[in-house]
This record gives sequence, C-alpha cells and structure tokens, in this order.
Amino acid sequence: MIRFENVTKTYKAGTVALQDVSIDIDKGEFVFLVGPSGSGKTTFIRLLLREETPDQGRIWVAGREIAHLSPWRIPYLRRNIGCVFQDFRLLPNRTVFENVAFALEVIGRPRHVIEGQVPQVLDLVGLAGKRDSLPGELSGGEQQRVAVARAFVNRPLLLIADEPTGNLDPATSQGIMRLLDRINRTGTTVVIATHDAGIVDQMRRRVVELHRGELVRDQERGVYGYGT
Amino acid sequence: MAVSVEYVTRETATNLWRNRLMTVAAVLTVAVSLSLVGVSLLLRQGVAQATTQWQNGVNVLVFLDAAPSAPTVPTAQQHTIYQQLVQLPYVKSCLYRDQAYDLGEAQRLLDPSAASVLTVASTPASWRCVLSQPSEAQAVARQFNGFPGVAEVQYPQKQIRTMETVVHVLDAVFLVLAVILLLSAAVLILNTIRLAIFARRREVSVMRLVGATNWFIRIPFMFEGIVQGLAGALVAVLVTVALHVVLDHFAGHNASSLLYRMRTPAGDVATTAILVGMIGVVIGAAGSAIGIRRFLES
Repeated sequence: MIRFENVTKTYKAGTVALQDVSIDIDKGEFVFLVGPSGSGKTTFIRLLLREETPDQGRIWVAGREIAHLSPWRIPYLRRNIGCVFQDFRLLPNRTVFENVAFALEVIGRPRHVIEGQVPQVLDLVGLAGKRDSLPGELSGGEQQRVAVARAFVNRPLLLIADEPTGNLDPATSQGIMRLLDRINRTGTTVVIATHDAGIVDQMRRRVVELHRGELVRDQERGVYGYGT
Repeated sequence: MAVSVEYVTRETATNLWRNRLMTVAAVLTVAVSLSLVGVSLLLRQGVAQATTQWQNGVNVLVFLDAAPSAPTVPTAQQHTIYQQLVQLPYVKSCLYRDQAYDLGEAQRLLDPSAASVLTVASTPASWRCVLSQPSEAQAVARQFNGFPGVAEVQYPQKQIRTMETVVHVLDAVFLVLAVILLLSAAVLILNTIRLAIFARRREVSVMRLVGATNWFIRIPFMFEGIVQGLAGALVAVLVTVALHVVLDHFAGHNASSLLYRMRTPAGDVATTAILVGMIGVVIGAAGSAIGIRRFLES
C-alpha cells in the first residue's frame, strides 16, 4: 500500500526532515508513527499526500509512484487517502451532515450517492443523532468523529491521522482509537502519527519510530517506548 | 468530473453576496468604462455613416445627368467631362460610379420615404475625384456646375470636416478613458475574487485535502468575475441603447441635419451591444483568472 524507498527530504533552511527512510506498509495494516516533535512525522504524511516532493528516493501509494506524479493527478491520489488532523479542520458554518457531504460534493459525487453514504458513515462514527448540529455545538471528541467520518465517507484505501488525539482527553482518545480500529477492520490501511504514549501502548500495533528524520525502530505489536 | 450547475450557481451567488460592496464597485466601474466604449463605437459608426460619400479621400462629387438606360460604363460625353476634370492641375484622380451604385448609396443615406421614390433611371451616375488640394473643391464646383452633361457638383462642407475633427478627438479621449477604466475594473474584479478566496480559505483547503480538482475549485470564482463583468456590460448596453434612442428622437426626419445623417442602423447598435458584452465577459474572466492564480498554486 505504501512504500518509501531511500527517501530524503531537506527543507530550504537546511533542516533534514527525513534521512534515507525506507519502509513498507501493507494493505490493511494499522501503523503508529511515533517520535518527538521535529522527528519527521508530519513530513512523512505531507509526502504521502503529495503536499511535498522528496529530494531523493521514491514513494509508492496504492501501486503508483507519486514523487513524480503530474499535478493534475494529485487530486485523484488524494481521493484514495482520508485525512484526519489534530485541529479537526471542520467548516464551522456547516452542519455535521454538510461537513461530511462536502467531501463527496466537491469531488463531483451525485446527490443520491451523498444521501446514501453520509448517513451510513455518521452511523458508523456514532453521530447519527447529531447530523444537524454545527461543529461549535459539539465536544472535541465528537468533532474529531465528524472529521473521521469526512475522511472515511469516500471509502479511501488509506486513512492517515496526524495527532488525532492531540486535543482530546484520554477517555475520548480511546473512543477515537476504537473507531479507527473499526475502520481498519474494514480493510482500510491506517497510519497514525502520534506522540500519545497511552494509546500506542494500549493498542499494541506496529510501531515505526522516527528520530531526527531517521527510522530508528520498526516493531510489530510495539509500545511507544520512546526514551526508554 | 462533473461540476453541477446547482453547485456553481449556489457558490457563485454566495460569493457575490458576501462581497456585495466590492461587487457593486466592480460592476459600476465596468459599466462606466464600457458605456464610454459603446458611445465611442456609436460615434464612429455615426461619422462613418454621415461621411460615406467622402470615403477614400474623395473631395468632389460630380453628378452626371441621369440616363434612363443607366449605362454601367461612362458614355462619350461623360468621358469628355472626365478628361476635362483630370486636366486640372489639382485633380489627382477620378473614379466612375454608375447609377446603380449611387442609388444604393442614396438609399443608405436618405430616410426610407425619400429613398423610395428613387429609381436607377432617375439617379445620376458620378465622377468621384480626389484632389491634391482639397481647398480647390469649390473651384471645381464653380467650373463644372452647368457644364453639359453635369447635373450637380457636390463637395464636403466645412461643417462636415469640423465635425469629423471634433468626433475624432472625442473618440480618442473616450477610448483612452475607457481603457484606463477597463484596467481598473479588471483590478477591482481581481481584488473581489481574492477577497472571496480568502474568505473561503478553509473550504478551499478542505477541498484540496479531499481531492477536488483545481478546476472544480476555480470555476465558482471564475464565474463570480464573469458575472461581474457581464453585469457591468449589461448596464453599459442599456446606457448606449438609451443614448441611441434619444439621439434618434432628436434627429427627427430632417434629412439635411447632421444628427440625422449620423443615424446608425439598429443592426450596428446590436453589434455594438454584443461587442460591449463580450468585452465585459473578457475583463471579468481575465480579472478573476489572475486573482485565482496566486492562491491556488500548490
């Protein structure tokens, strides 16, 4: 599903964000990407979304080499990748339903598809009863569920989450992780960048650790373990 | 990828309403500048209409006696007149226009009721002469009026020349003003589009994230610019047509009045309106295209 081959990314100021990183993530895997701030987690995700291009090396997503993807194809790559962020990125003046529907609407899905898929995914994330609420009326955990629903409504092959629990308390975080786990069991590959040791230790899934841009650990059923 | 009409209409309308003050400013600027363009075009057509006879530097018209048979080439007598004309030192050249041609021209210049009594047989043929010294036109007229075979000699009155000068100056001033205003209109539209994109930067970033194509993101903003340009153009067309109607009214039916001779046919007004509309659309599209470009480059 994802393959990094000797990927190096250096920013203009000379900061090395990723240094010769190679990794394979198979279809249906559930992977934690851990490491302190500045270790290269966000760069890893931006490369996957083709918001950045690597200086060296090659990257495959869903069988396609994306480092040299022509610009007009980028939107179609992103349709295969659902994305969740720490700050939710919901549209404050649209309801829960509209926020999720927006993701389908702007890729040109017809109305009847939207009417069918949005309630289904809202049901999955447990927000069927809040479809007409505005994001401002929801708790942080609920807002993140809306964001997950928006990321998943198009049934992407890959779901990426960048610090999804960064703004949430431990109990709410657990709920979000259970939700991502359930999505993973539908066959969707899930990659979560985080430095939330609690959830990593609890889930015991594959852990990939970055440190100053280098891959320092890749462990099945790992724990956060950073600094120990 | 399908961009639904409903989506574009809704987004465009929302954008226009959110930026209504800027929109009004842009529309008014387009309207004023395009009104100037419209009036200037009508003036040009009017002058062309009033001075049809004097095109290609013709300075003197020597109308010949009409012949019932309406020959298409000069008769022997008419040829003699030609030789006499070109003998004059300040006559550069003369061109023969037969009766059918002159009838066609008269029908264009006169009002329909006057033109309807004309026939080819009753319309004179003419020699149209270009002078090296246009001021000598009067001398030609004096010499050839009453000449055998000559019905009448005409030359442009001073007023036509003055009018032409005045109109040309006005025309130039209008066009310069119009171009300056059109540029400011484009900049205003560009600015409203940037504001619209800025106001919707969250939406735009989510759209990019979930894989909306660049065209899908652009189209509502492009439309916003085009709608502004078109709205301004519509106001300008109304102004131009209204002016045309008012002038037409004042021109009345006096065939010798200048305004009457400057009347432009409705077809020309329609052409002008279409041209003005197209300029409006182009200005709107260009303004929004530039406004969008910087924001949507990834």
